[in-house]
Amino acid sequence: MTQPIAMLDGPLWPYLALVLFAFLPTEIWRWLAVGLARGLNADSPLLEWVRMVATALLAGIVAKLVVSPPGVLAAAPLLVRVGAIAAAAAVMALTRRQMVLAVLTGEVVLIGGVWLFAG
Amino acid sequence: MFADRLAFPGAARADDLMSVSADWSWPRVALAGARDALRFPAWIVGFGLIGIGSLARDVGYPVDVAVLSTILVWAGPSQVLFFASIAAGAAWSAIAIAIAFASLRFLPMTMAIMPLLRRPGQSIWQQLLLAHYVAVTAWTEGLRRLPAIPLHQRAVYFLGFCNTCMLVSSIGTFSGYYLLGALPTPFAAGLLCLTPIFFLVSLTAGLRHAADVVAVGLGLALAPLCERFIGGGFDLIVSGLIAGSIAFLIGRRRKAVP
Repeated sequence: MTQPIAMLDGPLWPYLALVLFAFLPTEIWRWLAVGLARGLNADSPLLEWVRMVATALLAGIVAKLVVSPPGVLAAAPLLVRVGAIAAAAAVMALTRRQMVLAVLTGEVVLIGGVWLFAG
Repeated sequence: MFADRLAFPGAARADDLMSVSADWSWPRVALAGARDALRFPAWIVGFGLIGIGSLARDVGYPVDVAVLSTILVWAGPSQVLFFASIAAGAAWSAIAIAIAFASLRFLPMTMAIMPLLRRPGQSIWQQLLLAHYVAVTAWTEGLRRLPAIPLHQRAVYFLGFCNTCMLVSSIGTFSGYYLLGALPTPFAAGLLCLTPIFFLVSLTAGLRHAADVVAVGLGLALAPLCERFIGGGFDLIVSGLIAGSIAFLIGRRRKAVP
């Protein structure tokens, strides 16, 4: 357990810690982006590049969560984790992008896989 | 078609964009946003953030800090890092730096969506408020839906959509604080896997050009490679920059040669 900073400790410490060490480090990028996006046109090439980088970053997060899973997700074998993601993507490709069906299919593969191989 | 028969009544689909009429009053536009959120995305975010409640309880923080983290931070990975790092005994400075690195994605994401939400006469404070709601769901769904909505109604629609997601997620976080813990392993793993599955499904729902497919595919492939060879929290940024730039160049070349 990380102990509270002594001089700031008190009943309000959890709230203060949340604002200082979680809210601000996250929010700063959103604020910075508002400033940087000023004057940029919606169809400018720079923004197209920025959108591509953001898309690749999000895909990267998916891959990282699958390859090095947090917490109890590690109970699922790698093959099951990859299978769940692949099944969801396949449903998206084959069913004219049925999002609900895709998420449900991925979840069924994962939960069923853990049940079979690690339960 | 078989796939159509499988469709849920009113289920969300990438090509089912609702139109918002230019003469609608703002409550009606906000309700349209809320309804579109309740048709699917809000539930996914809500379920995805159930785990935050149990993580907060594990470190002995009050339930309102858990719910506040959903409202203020509004980024699952940051919230997981915050409570899990406290549980692991990490230094406060290390927690802040790890969260800052994990949240860098919001810089390009927010930059890409702001021009869609902006309109003349909007104050900087209104823009900062709109930017606060940027997270994966709002971003992928916003990029897809906002262009079809009249410019002067986009901010109201966006706020209706995002606040509904936030409300459902706050309830999810609150219930997770009291309910989770005794969940069987397969279901607990299922809740955790909701995030990557939903991220990928939202990304594929927004695919428009070959370049988008390259960005997603290369992003998936490069991230684990970079994680292996580049350390220190920079790996995701590097893989995103490389994959995104290659996708961008491919998109440019295609446009140049029609």
